[in-house]
Amino acid sequence: MKSHNVTITKGILLFAALLILAACGDNTELEDRSYEMVWQDEFDTDGALDGSKWVYDLGGGGWGNNELQTYTNNPLNVRKEDGSLLITAINTGGSFTSARIKTMGKFDQAYGRFEARIKLPWGPGIWPAFWLLGADIETNPWPACGEIDIMEYRGQEPNMIHGSVHGPGYSGGAAITKSYGFPNDRFDVDYHLFAVEWGEDFIQYFVDDVLYQEIQPGDLTGDWVFDHPFFIILNVAVGGDYVGFPTEDTPFPQTMYIDYVRVYEEVN
Amino acid sequence: MKKIQHIHPVIALLMTALLVFTVSCERDFDELEPAGFPTTPEVFIDGFSAGLAYAAFGGSNVTAFAVDEEVKYAGTSSMRFAVPDAGDPEGAYAGGVYYTAEGRDLSGYDALTFWAKASKSATIDLVGFGNDLKDSKYLAYLQGLKINTNWKKYIIPIPEASRLTEEKGMFYYSEGPEDGLGYTFWIDELKFEKLGTLAHKRPIIFNGEDAVESTVNGIRIPLTGTSFIFNMPNGIDQTVYTSSAYFNFTSSNATVATIDSTGMVSVLSEGTSVITAKSGDVDAGGSLTINSAGDFTHAPEPTIPAERVISIFSDAYSNVPVDFYNGYWEPYQTTLSADFKVNDDNVLNYTNFNFVGIQFTSPPIDASNTDTLHMDVWIPNAVTAADKLSVTIVDMGADGALDGNDPSISYEIPGPLTSQTWISVDISISALSSKSRLAQIILENLSTSLSGFYLDNIYLYGSAGGTTEGPSEAAPAPPAREAGDVVSIYSDIYTNLEGTDYPDWGQVTVLSGTTVADDNTLKLANLDYQGIQLAASQDITGMEYLHLDFWTENSSSLNVYLISSGPVEKAYALTVPTSGWSGVDIPLSDFSPVDLADLIQLKFDGNGDIYLDNIYFYTAGGGGGGNGTCEDPTEAPPAPTEDAADVISVFSDAYTDIANTNFNPGWGQTTIVTTESIGTGSSLKYDNFNFQGTNLGGADGVDQDLSSMEYLHIDMWTCDATVVEVTPISRTTGEKLVSLAPINTGQWNSYDIPLSDFSGVSMADIFQLKFDCQAGNNPSKIFIDNIYFYTTGGGGGGGGGTTTGPATAAPTPPVRDAGNVVSIYSDAYTNIAVDNFDAGWCGGAAVTGVTIEGNNTLKKNAGIDCHGIDFSSNRQDLSSFTHIHFDFYTDDTDLTGDVFNVKLVDFAGGAGEASALEVNINTGTTPGIVAGTWVTVDIDITSLGGIVTNNLTRSDIAQIGITTANLTNVWYDNIYLYK
Repeated sequence: MKSHNVTITKGILLFAALLILAACGDNTELEDRSYEMVWQDEFDTDGALDGSKWVYDLGGGGWGNNELQTYTNNPLNVRKEDGSLLITAINTGGSFTSARIKTMGKFDQAYGRFEARIKLPWGPGIWPAFWLLGADIETNPWPACGEIDIMEYRGQEPNMIHGSVHGPGYSGGAAITKSYGFPNDRFDVDYHLFAVEWGEDFIQYFVDDVLYQEIQPGDLTGDWVFDHPFFIILNVAVGGDYVGFPTEDTPFPQTMYIDYVRVYEEVN
Repeated sequence: MKKIQHIHPVIALLMTALLVFTVSCERDFDELEPAGFPTTPEVFIDGFSAGLAYAAFGGSNVTAFAVDEEVKYAGTSSMRFAVPDAGDPEGAYAGGVYYTAEGRDLSGYDALTFWAKASKSATIDLVGFGNDLKDSKYLAYLQGLKINTNWKKYIIPIPEASRLTEEKGMFYYSEGPEDGLGYTFWIDELKFEKLGTLAHKRPIIFNGEDAVESTVNGIRIPLTGTSFIFNMPNGIDQTVYTSSAYFNFTSSNATVATIDSTGMVSVLSEGTSVITAKSGDVDAGGSLTINSAGDFTHAPEPTIPAERVISIFSDAYSNVPVDFYNGYWEPYQTTLSADFKVNDDNVLNYTNFNFVGIQFTSPPIDASNTDTLHMDVWIPNAVTAADKLSVTIVDMGADGALDGNDPSISYEIPGPLTSQTWISVDISISALSSKSRLAQIILENLSTSLSGFYLDNIYLYGSAGGTTEGPSEAAPAPPAREAGDVVSIYSDIYTNLEGTDYPDWGQVTVLSGTTVADDNTLKLANLDYQGIQLAASQDITGMEYLHLDFWTENSSSLNVYLISSGPVEKAYALTVPTSGWSGVDIPLSDFSPVDLADLIQLKFDGNGDIYLDNIYFYTAGGGGGGNGTCEDPTEAPPAPTEDAADVISVFSDAYTDIANTNFNPGWGQTTIVTTESIGTGSSLKYDNFNFQGTNLGGADGVDQDLSSMEYLHIDMWTCDATVVEVTPISRTTGEKLVSLAPINTGQWNSYDIPLSDFSGVSMADIFQLKFDCQAGNNPSKIFIDNIYFYTTGGGGGGGGGTTTGPATAAPTPPVRDAGNVVSIYSDAYTNIAVDNFDAGWCGGAAVTGVTIEGNNTLKKNAGIDCHGIDFSSNRQDLSSFTHIHFDFYTDDTDLTGDVFNVKLVDFAGGAGEASALEVNINTGTTPGIVAGTWVTVDIDITSLGGIVTNNLTRSDIAQIGITTANLTNVWYDNIYLYK
């Protein structure tokens, strides 16, 4: 694969309030970083996933969060179409199917920029996510392996997303998290770019290249475990402790559209 | 100082146009900026925004809306809406329109938003915008808006804002009582906004269905089911119902069918066309495929001679008066009407058909001389072998009322039915036990796939040579007259007054409409007396004569009366029996002292069988008389009828008044108070009246506790007062004036004012009354009588009535988490929303709400044996609920056969009952029926046995039925499920 160098320039750093619903913080120029793309999936060909890059998580059981869906690899739940990856949650008479895919065993990386361009689904109880999980999870169980949630979203709040880290002493409901919201727009109408830039002592969270959160070791209530390779996960959950449960008013099916996923390494 | 020149926007536009033409001859008008309308977003923030006006809907309570400066979400005031109780004489619902004279440009907004709360959890029938009291082109509204006692923000999405560049309809609403009871809701911060957080707009026509209609040329089909679904900022979809103007329609084949901008489809020629729609660039869900089979085939021309026919709907005969061809009987009827006319042939067209009624009660039809009902039916769409259509013919019976207990016969049109051909049906009505007062024809769908049909030539006829009674010839036709020279009650020649009724005043007379030689004629059989009630008081001072034609072979006495309010009536004797038709023209002066400016009724009395026709007032032309002069009353007002035990009287001849009342305390008024003897009693006269106080029970007033009372009754007569207001005065909370309206001068007006209208006035310590006319003609003169407070009963015990009921409230249910209770009826928990709390399953309202020790309780209505509670649009999954609870009380002395049955009806996801869980209580069960005490039923429903029977399924409970057959008096309360 031919790699190429890019320089990603960010315009503005927002010192975010807990929930940014209006740009009202101090503005500061961000330092530019030069990145080289090292891994990508553009989802440009219709059909099934590229098995060299992704594996499926299959099955139900709640996934530790009392989620309702059963994950499948059925094309109705996960397929490439018109240049995007579609992960679709389906309601069949009150039982739900969806999909969760990951790069575990295929690709992982410590540090760099991880980004995906996504148009989100909507409706109460819909919980899509774009996130990273420590690649040593099988020998170093969660939360010690670490989790970086680049984007989580509750379908009943379609104008808001959330970025978090989970680790030892700050997992589950105690995760370190911030939210980013649009005052006059929603995340389910158009595609938006969700990214983290991750270094040895920082993780920065971006929506459409606007920085809304930076987490440093001193911000944590436990050890900094973001020092080893992580792999990528994309999924749409239905219900669960985080999002609550779908109601009779939740429209189904619901689809998360992923235009691309790209990973960069920093170069000098 | 420099003079500033203002340029009117229209002039500015013209000047721009000139400028453009000067600099470029190639530009066209399309590029000109139009003169804009104001973009003001505020509708009501702390008061009416600029240019905003309010108009209440007809029939609504016009005082429902007020600005409230005490309750508000923000700022200094809110909009308050007082929804009246069911049956409120001042208007049975709240509703109105907020509009501007000048349009506003709303194209920059995407929603109308407001904050709202209510005095109790409730569901507002309708809120929306786009109603401008004129064309109301761009209606958009929400139905069934749920509100509760907390302030919450509500959003009405604008379906397509680009169309709203000149909108005058800012807001409108309509809301009736909840379960018969009024309440109050508030709206604040009502304004248009650009939210940006509404998404996924989905326009819809025909309710999203791809409908197919087999039809023929000339038919018109209305577009229905237009709405938009938006996803709201909370991720939930919301339907906004709209008029059709938000859509652009397309017919795929305009030679077959066209659709106009109002959404009316016209079928033009044979072939197929698909009607679709767009809103902006978005395709609407739903369509209508028109399959036209070509030219319309007219129903066979009737051949029965007119003199043997009584026609209900045909172009071949004169039709009798018909109340309606579609009663739109709520809540279960779905049938719509799209009647049409092809080449002067009128045809009834029923669509979306489940059942429909045709009714003719004013007067009913005397079908004694007929034996057959004819009708022609055309089914446009394909039929199946299972399709069945039944016809039921209903007679009012001996009681002269449609009460669900009427003689009727049903007839099933023989199958298999055929489509696209006229099916001529001749139904024998000989077996009908009574056919002298036919009143309804009910058509009912006995299958599921029959979607509709056309209907023509509905008439009754008799066999040739059958014996006929009565006149053989029609009454002579009246001469042509100018419309202004005639006030017609009953004739085929003139336009009759609308809404005239032939009331049941307890007479023996059997009144019916019949036809004599194809002329509609009234028949009064076995006359004792018969009234004719006009829909509204008529001023016939411009008329000179009453004309009527009458025919009788066997009467020896016949009088006709005119009646004005009071009542004041005068008889005029007619010469009977007649030889053929007799016509009379009676000078109206012969009816003195009847007030011809206020004619309300006519009446006949006498004996025998009478035929009547051409009853009308007329003038030979020329000027009319002057207005009658209004004089002081000469007769007492009607005597009160309330039970003395339910009354606290201030001034009346009928009741014991509060003693020692001072009727003329000196409050600085100009009024001269006297007691006048009028007719059989005495009334108070207020002369030179500006205002007048009354101190109750003592020279300075003694507190009267009126909290158990519901109404203040007053009778009043005046010739010159235009506004008269009254208030009871509380020692602690003061007064609130309420108008006595309407005022009809020169007659006794009777008012029953709900005490709730005196909002803010405590009824526990009323010590004075005050009347005031200063808001109108001042000074004036009024006579007042029968001033008393009363209750309609049901309250505290006491009274010598036969029904006393429970003296104590049902036991109060324990506190439970809201999630552990589904309450249908209780004061302790929040009750679920229901579609119809008293669905009339057993022929009428089953219960009356009463208060026992301040606790709302249901009381069975006499003779109605079951109570249906329908919440099929708010079904409950009660699978996890383990117990049902209810309390009941009976004072029946004979409990033999008594059963109190509660049934949970499960629809299993369908449209009707699939199974039911029943709880049956009688004297032998545990718990059992015991008289004179509250019986609490609190039973485990997780297994069958004991009093729990039938089927435990309760995952889709849509209705509850409570059957109280054999119980005479029963009260019940606290119906809920819990776990």
